[in-house]
Amino acid sequence: MQVTEDLVRQVILDVLGAMGADAKPANGVKPADGTPLNFRELGVAKTGTDRNEVVVGVPPAFGTAMTSTIIGIPHSDVLKEVFAGIEEEGLKPRLVRVVRSADVGAIAHDAATLSGSGIGIGMLCRGTSVIHQRDLQILQNLELFPQSPLVDRAVFRAIGRNAARYAKGEQPDPVPTRNDPMARPRYQGLAALLHNKETQHVKLGAPAVELAL
Amino acid sequence: MTMQNDISPDVIEAAVKRVLSTLNGNGAAPAASAPAASGGRLDAKKDYPLAAKRPDLVKSATGLPIAEITVDKVMAGKLSFDDIRIRPETLEYQAQIAESGGRPHVASNLRRAAELTRIPDARVLEMYVALRPYRSTKAELLAMADELESKYQAKICGKFVREAAAIYEQRGRLKES
Amino acid sequence: MAKRQKRFEVLAERPINKDGFIKEWVDVGLVAMESPNDPKPSIRIENGVVVELDGKRREDFDMIDYAIADYCIDKRVAEEAMAIDSLKFARMLVDINVPRKELVRLSVGMTPAKLVAVLRELNVVELMMAMQKMRSRKPPMNQAHVTNVKDCAPLLAADAAEAGYRGFAEIETTVGIARYAPMNALALLVGGQVGRPGTLSQCAVEEAAELNMGMRGFTAYAETVSVYGTEQVFIDGDDTPWSKFFLASAYASRGLKMRYTSGTGSEVLMGYAERKSMLYLEIRCIMVTKGAGVQGLQNGSISCIGVPGAVPAGIRAVLAENLATVLMDLEVASGNDQTFTHSIERNTARMLMQFLPGTDFIFSGYAAEPNYDNMFAGSTHDCDDYDDYLVLQRDLQVDGGLKPVTEEGVIAVRNKAARALQAVFEELGLPAITDDEVERATYAHGSKEMGDRNVNEDLRAIDDFMKRGTTGLDVVRALAKRGFPDVAASVLEMQKAKVAGDYLQTSAVFDENFNVISAINHPNDYEGPGTGYRLTGERWEMLKNIPRAIDASQI
Repeated sequence: MQVTEDLVRQVILDVLGAMGADAKPANGVKPADGTPLNFRELGVAKTGTDRNEVVVGVPPAFGTAMTSTIIGIPHSDVLKEVFAGIEEEGLKPRLVRVVRSADVGAIAHDAATLSGSGIGIGMLCRGTSVIHQRDLQILQNLELFPQSPLVDRAVFRAIGRNAARYAKGEQPDPVPTRNDPMARPRYQGLAALLHNKETQHVKLGAPAVELAL
Repeated sequence: MTMQNDISPDVIEAAVKRVLSTLNGNGAAPAASAPAASGGRLDAKKDYPLAAKRPDLVKSATGLPIAEITVDKVMAGKLSFDDIRIRPETLEYQAQIAESGGRPHVASNLRRAAELTRIPDARVLEMYVALRPYRSTKAELLAMADELESKYQAKICGKFVREAAAIYEQRGRLKES
Repeated sequence: MAKRQKRFEVLAERPINKDGFIKEWVDVGLVAMESPNDPKPSIRIENGVVVELDGKRREDFDMIDYAIADYCIDKRVAEEAMAIDSLKFARMLVDINVPRKELVRLSVGMTPAKLVAVLRELNVVELMMAMQKMRSRKPPMNQAHVTNVKDCAPLLAADAAEAGYRGFAEIETTVGIARYAPMNALALLVGGQVGRPGTLSQCAVEEAAELNMGMRGFTAYAETVSVYGTEQVFIDGDDTPWSKFFLASAYASRGLKMRYTSGTGSEVLMGYAERKSMLYLEIRCIMVTKGAGVQGLQNGSISCIGVPGAVPAGIRAVLAENLATVLMDLEVASGNDQTFTHSIERNTARMLMQFLPGTDFIFSGYAAEPNYDNMFAGSTHDCDDYDDYLVLQRDLQVDGGLKPVTEEGVIAVRNKAARALQAVFEELGLPAITDDEVERATYAHGSKEMGDRNVNEDLRAIDDFMKRGTTGLDVVRALAKRGFPDVAASVLEMQKAKVAGDYLQTSAVFDENFNVISAINHPNDYEGPGTGYRLTGERWEMLKNIPRAIDASQI
């Protein structure tokens, strides 16, 4: 990964932000308002043939009804980081919106199935993410990032980078696992609330939609 | 499935015996081949645990008595993985014990399980995946039911898969063909 | 406020005020035990078929309704059971003159809404009284989580050994990186048998992968086989009741013990609670489990505990779901396995609900490692709480499943487990465990004291090891060849357990001599004071003797 001054500054700000939030009561935790993204919908997403692509699948409310993750990273930045990670490895990101489900495993598996390389990334609005491969079972994964409060900008970029490496047939070192035993007491009630807002946008059975920014 | 590189004569002998016993039993349900205990049924109070109270009944899938499964035999290469598999008769005995202990639901599961002992690991895993949502068409599930009934004499499981096919169709959980 | 009141400033800094609380949101099912959208109890049976369940006609059934109506409910007792007044049945649950057997007989005649109506009548003390009477196995026991954030195998083996040695009847691992699963399972199999022969081990991962490891003989049982209370969430969990029933039979067909997992809050957390209360949906899960003929269930909200924990009466609902499980005559592994609060007081209060009456497994995952290494995202109690827990047992004369140990004893089993796994790795061609790793694992508090293994090398070796078709017998051979005959014998005994099938029965575990202890040969016979499980005799002598207690004769 190319380490720029901007990136270092951003990481420091994120870390400080997370530590600062820790000292406050959880009732005060509220995802920051990001700006809605200007997506253009390009119709039903088709299975790609380009072996150099990684498909990024986002859920129904991503960037529209919801605009930032549980720790306040704007969805525009999420995509910026993931795309940058993929592009650093010389591959092409392709963006689709999965409409039929708000389950991260299903979104990631749909993305992998649509991907020319067979590798996809799926994410939820709150930040939970999965790197998936077409021929795995839906609830298996190549890499799983289950604790949304721990998925920060650096992790999003690493997710993009590793997904691209899998797509090239490499065996990258998995993104180091993180664990915070106190994430659940602090965030899970809120996560349930957010997810119920998310699922109100699901259209069962509807096909995935190709997106452009 | 494990393929032993050095198959011993014992292993081959046991395998042949197993095939013969299946043929002789004509693939009948395990209940039919269960020896008579007290009135033909095993009893939770008298016969459980089987390993301690009825070692005469506990044999592996290859017909090996449980007492003959030893570390020495493992070291001598005389045991295959099939020698440490449960056989359908044992599951039927355990079903009888569950029933006599007032647990008919558990007994039903053990009887479905007895049928599945006849199916190789890889095929069991495939069948499980085929039953997951949106994995199979109705025709594929019905073909699987046929396979269960005719190839493996798994009548209860066959009926169970047919029932799944009907309910998946009604609930829209089949694979789009 | 311009000016803060000083006490409020102090209170704001207390751990409890880092917890998240949310108000009930009935429309999406963010409510614990009672939603106005919960159906009213009803059943109609025609020609032995349930044609109406809780106000829903058969033609409108979803998959879960079908599973409950056709596989769980005993049509012969349904009308009798449904006719009993809910309050009366609730009173029968706490009445020592009504035997367990009679309540179990009636329980399978009830619908989900009826069971909820009964449970709503009981306060937490009554729920505990009923738990004491209704759990199926007489002696209560405990289960540990054995994991670490690095998926470091020698440390897993050492922690598994310590857990077995301290008395956990079952140990469970999971992974940071999914492909590590077989290696983690292997570490627990070997370590667990070193710590105490007969310790049952499992590895919680995706369903098909988990079954595969069991078939190979790397695990002795499975637990993370999830069921859900609404059809859409069941489907999002990538299963149906039919695939899950089949999976249950597949486990039994390989002689493997298995229980399902469910818990309040999962449906609302996954976004499809159909506006029902968490407890109502959980009762549906319990009835699906019963219908499957699975012997037991892990519940008590489990990984979703932050959700009931955030709403009013949520922790009462968690105890109610544990009780409903044993009322249906299922083994219960009763939660307490996931962090849900920053507050020590709140944490202990929640645990006492299962600790005091005793359950089949009070914890379905006490962290046998520091919580930073607990890959179930943290348990309520970890290895730093061992002494507190032992003193609680001693104070209250309650058997929580753990026993006092010596430091020397723990060092010895940790070291032996790491060395045994070192030998197994070498024999099976897995990347070496160094002597330095053995030493560190023996004395470590957690994975921070371990070096980093070469993850890619491990993962490649695991893929290869699985492709070669390695089984439990290869592990036995490796241990015997390399001077661990006792461990080899124990690992082989675990394989033989699958041949006899005795531990497929309800609530089964093994003692250190591989005698099975289950609801069949050790049924709970509680009928009031003077009956049931009593912490007395040898066991009490063992539990009361914590090493730090001063002995007058030694002064």
